[in-house]
Amino acid sequence: MLRTGLSKRGSKTVSLHKTGPQVAQELVACIGCNECLLACPALDEAITIDVLNRETLSGPISTPVARFARSCFQCGACVAPCPVGLSRESMMMWLKVRLLRSGWEKM
Amino acid sequence: MTELVAKSVDSADLVIIGNGIAGLTAAVEARRLAPERRVVIITEQSHPTINTPALKQFAIGKLNREQLLAYPAGTEQAQFIHVINARAEEIHAQERYITLRGGRGFGYGELLIATGSTPTGLPPNLPGADFDGILTLHRLYDYLDLRRRLGEVEEAVVIGGGAHAIETVMSLLYWGIRVHWLLRGDTFLSRMLDRPASDMVLDSIQRAGARVYTGTETLGIVGRVGTVAGVVTNHQELIPCQLVLVCTGTSAVTSLARHCDLKMKHKQGILVDDQLRTSVPHIYAAGDVAAIKDPQTGLYAPRAQSYAAVSQGRMAASMMTGASSVEELGIPWHATRLGGLSMLTVGNVLQWQDTTTTLTDSSRNSYRRMAVIDDRLVGYLSLGPAQPDSLAIKRIIEEGLSIRDIKKSLLKGTFDARRYFSHRRTHSAQRMVTTGKLPVAEELERRMLAMKNQALQPQGNRQEEPMHLVRTMPGADPVAATNFLERNTDEDLQLFADPFVAAPVELERFREQRETTGAPVGASADWLTAERGFPSDGKRPVKTSHIIESTLVNAPEPARSGRRPSGSLWSYSSPLPAVKVNKTQPPAATTASVPDIQQRGRKGQFKAPPQKNGKQRPSDAYPSSSLWSYSEKKRMKGH
Repeated sequence: MLRTGLSKRGSKTVSLHKTGPQVAQELVACIGCNECLLACPALDEAITIDVLNRETLSGPISTPVARFARSCFQCGACVAPCPVGLSRESMMMWLKVRLLRSGWEKM
Repeated sequence: MTELVAKSVDSADLVIIGNGIAGLTAAVEARRLAPERRVVIITEQSHPTINTPALKQFAIGKLNREQLLAYPAGTEQAQFIHVINARAEEIHAQERYITLRGGRGFGYGELLIATGSTPTGLPPNLPGADFDGILTLHRLYDYLDLRRRLGEVEEAVVIGGGAHAIETVMSLLYWGIRVHWLLRGDTFLSRMLDRPASDMVLDSIQRAGARVYTGTETLGIVGRVGTVAGVVTNHQELIPCQLVLVCTGTSAVTSLARHCDLKMKHKQGILVDDQLRTSVPHIYAAGDVAAIKDPQTGLYAPRAQSYAAVSQGRMAASMMTGASSVEELGIPWHATRLGGLSMLTVGNVLQWQDTTTTLTDSSRNSYRRMAVIDDRLVGYLSLGPAQPDSLAIKRIIEEGLSIRDIKKSLLKGTFDARRYFSHRRTHSAQRMVTTGKLPVAEELERRMLAMKNQALQPQGNRQEEPMHLVRTMPGADPVAATNFLERNTDEDLQLFADPFVAAPVELERFREQRETTGAPVGASADWLTAERGFPSDGKRPVKTSHIIESTLVNAPEPARSGRRPSGSLWSYSSPLPAVKVNKTQPPAATTASVPDIQQRGRKGQFKAPPQKNGKQRPSDAYPSSSLWSYSEKKRMKGH
């Protein structure tokens, strides 16, 4: 189980961890405007928001998304530009957890 | 390709009209819930589903076309969703088929109308309304058109006073175009924002570089050799421009409701109940086209937002497949970026001015307004550089939680939702940590079952329900107030009423089944099934359970608006109990009701989608008995 972590960034509290249902709900609320990906300093793959959302939620994780998840260093640059106030950071955390679990399953 | 499919398919279990985000979400979700059904999307649109909020960035060149896709390319094929490119023209609800353009028929088991909306545009009698260079931004083609024109435009006029207009203004400014923004009223988004908030937004737009004209209407458009040269306003002013963008709102596409042989209620949109059923059995509506009741005011209006469309699509899918609905639609929620400001409105901030306490805060370049009854939040408006945790605030309002302790942080915008919810549920969180297990859904489920079972009892004296409500709920309670309000003002009380629902034979059957099987889950599910297609106002599952919860059962929490009781920290969207209920659910009576549809599907060219690991239902979850469906159909005919 993930431990919770909180960090302060500016005036807005950025929460690293949210529960699975919360993340799922936020993914549903994502309007797909790509603002988070435009702001991301760690993104060097041709990833679009639809693929990222789908693979964060469930199913197999493709190689580009896995690489992106590994290179994400949770800086929180994606949280501020979101027009609907979602926390992409915790979604990325969730993706990393899924990646980790799928890796274990493979082994 | 599509032609081939179109020829071989002439009916399907689930037919969805429109491949907007609501339609495709419904299709994908229906595929997940019912892997063995045939799902068909009928659409006029020739491109795959896109994320419409991203179109603005697409227009100004920040995104390319591939980044617009709402689902990865090829999702439809991978999910065995057949897309037919045709226009649906009429619904024959009695025989359950639709006619496509060209007169071809297409049978359906369940039908979802997700035809979306169309832009209102300029009034057609406005002088010069047909010049080249006047665009309404709504579809992908409009934005492609805008993108092509941007290079040769120096000045542009944006007409309209909504969030769409402001986004358009900002994207034009991004391209260094001089923008004149004409608003008819004095304030921006007058139904959602109050004066100070609107002033703040207009101010920020002006600072961003646009010229804002409030109280200004367009009298005509001046052209030169067929293209736009300027706009004449009611202040006898000529604003020169090469481009006019009309953002005067949208209206729902209700032509199918008009061309339905049974009467389908529609006004500004197709009226649906809180589970997206239209007034015609087996037909649902979702997305921009569906007019949904606001649980707080009791008024029907379409919620033309991407988030609303997605959640409605999901709900429509679970309704069409007969799975009990996991989510509630809840209250209106609108979060967006207006220029440099983030706006969030949840619930109704401006209504009930006399009964609510209004708290405002306008410090640090931000503005917040809260409408509070007792210590329950009923409306929240926030404008500022950062967005608060918007979904958490929606949840606080929907569940009617007390905000006594967090009033200040809500007002200051420093509300930490995560901490709040974990503190509220310290007990279950602690148990989670010590036992290392998730909070078990059993207790929740037991409570829900108890509620549903008891919901069978009071049907005899259903007439007294409003009285119960009035007597037992304190007047200051927002939920009671809304329910009461709704019953008084609702002209739709007759809308979903159906005499067959209360038939004593049916009731007897439920009771028998419940006693003989001894499986309360099945019984309650039967009860749900019988509801489908024949909804009546007082007997809708959610409503009844809500009434039970607030009057008969001593619920530990105060009454909430519609949401089921959430037992733990983990129930942000409370999927746990519903999943359990699904597993033992009998087949949806209505979807299988045309036997030959089912059979044709088995025979032919449609492979069943591949089994997904662990997600698959047990094979006996859908026994093939068509007893229910048969009787259902008969009743319908008799009706």
